[in-house]
Amino acid sequence: MFRVISGRSVQAARLLAPRNAVLVEAVRGRKSRTDPVAKSKVGRIKVPPPVDPVEMLVLKERYSEYELIMRALRLEFKEEVLRKKYEEETGSQAEERARQEEEEHRALINWNDEENLRMLKARILRVQKEEEEAERKKMEAAIQREQQLEESIRLREKEILQLQEEAKNFITLENLDQRIEDALDNPKNYNFAVDKEGKVVKRTVLQ
Amino acid sequence: MPRYELALILKAMQRPETAAALRRTVETLMERGAVVRDLENLGQRLLPYKMTKHNQRHSTGAYFLVDFYAAPSILDGLLDHLHRDVDVVRPAVLRKDERAPDSSCCGPPP
Repeated sequence: MFRVISGRSVQAARLLAPRNAVLVEAVRGRKSRTDPVAKSKVGRIKVPPPVDPVEMLVLKERYSEYELIMRALRLEFKEEVLRKKYEEETGSQAEERARQEEEEHRALINWNDEENLRMLKARILRVQKEEEEAERKKMEAAIQREQQLEESIRLREKEILQLQEEAKNFITLENLDQRIEDALDNPKNYNFAVDKEGKVVKRTVLQ
Repeated sequence: MPRYELALILKAMQRPETAAALRRTVETLMERGAVVRDLENLGQRLLPYKMTKHNQRHSTGAYFLVDFYAAPSILDGLLDHLHRDVDVVRPAVLRKDERAPDSSCCGPPP
């Protein structure tokens, strides 16, 4: 029968309703169009609420004045906004500001270029120095390596010479017999004794 | 080539037999491609304990020391040969290291 409405159409109807009420609208509920009218509602004539003409007039005038004023204010404000926007884009200050911005921009770009140049020079110097360092280190490393190689060659030659010297005393098939006789004649004794003072004594007896 | 030392304990025999055994051993070494550096006699000594080898009990033995340079591959064959030699009581091959010992005295490192 009555339904609560809420939505976009509500906003306009809300102005006429009391502030705290819920908005309802009439809706076909239980009965359809073809059902007979109820007995209690048989002679009912819907009558709109009575209107007082004087009050109506006064209200109409007041409302029209009010709306006039409101509309004027709104238009004033809109015009102000548009004017400000226009001034912003094409006013007298706009050119000066644009010029100043451009000067600033150019100055900054120049400064940036100079900085880049400076960094470039510094970088070139640094890279050159590093290259020289690397070259020097490589040379030093090469020299070191050569020196070590020479050192090792010298050591090995010394060893070879020493071995050649010792090789003269090695046992061969010819001196085998002689060496065996020598060995059997000279028994060697590696035993020794040490006392607390550190004196080494080698005259231990072979059993 | 690495350098080895053969600590040889021969049976207590007369001089010509000992000489023959030594000659045999050195010739075996040379056949296998070793270079014999030196031969030392540590004398005939009482063995630290009685050893039985080749069905004979030995209480004294003649100790000999042979330095030689050889390839490591011949050592197995050599030891096998020496174990089978009747006059040899105990052979031992040790390696000689050229490095000097790192610490001045023996014992566990600090």
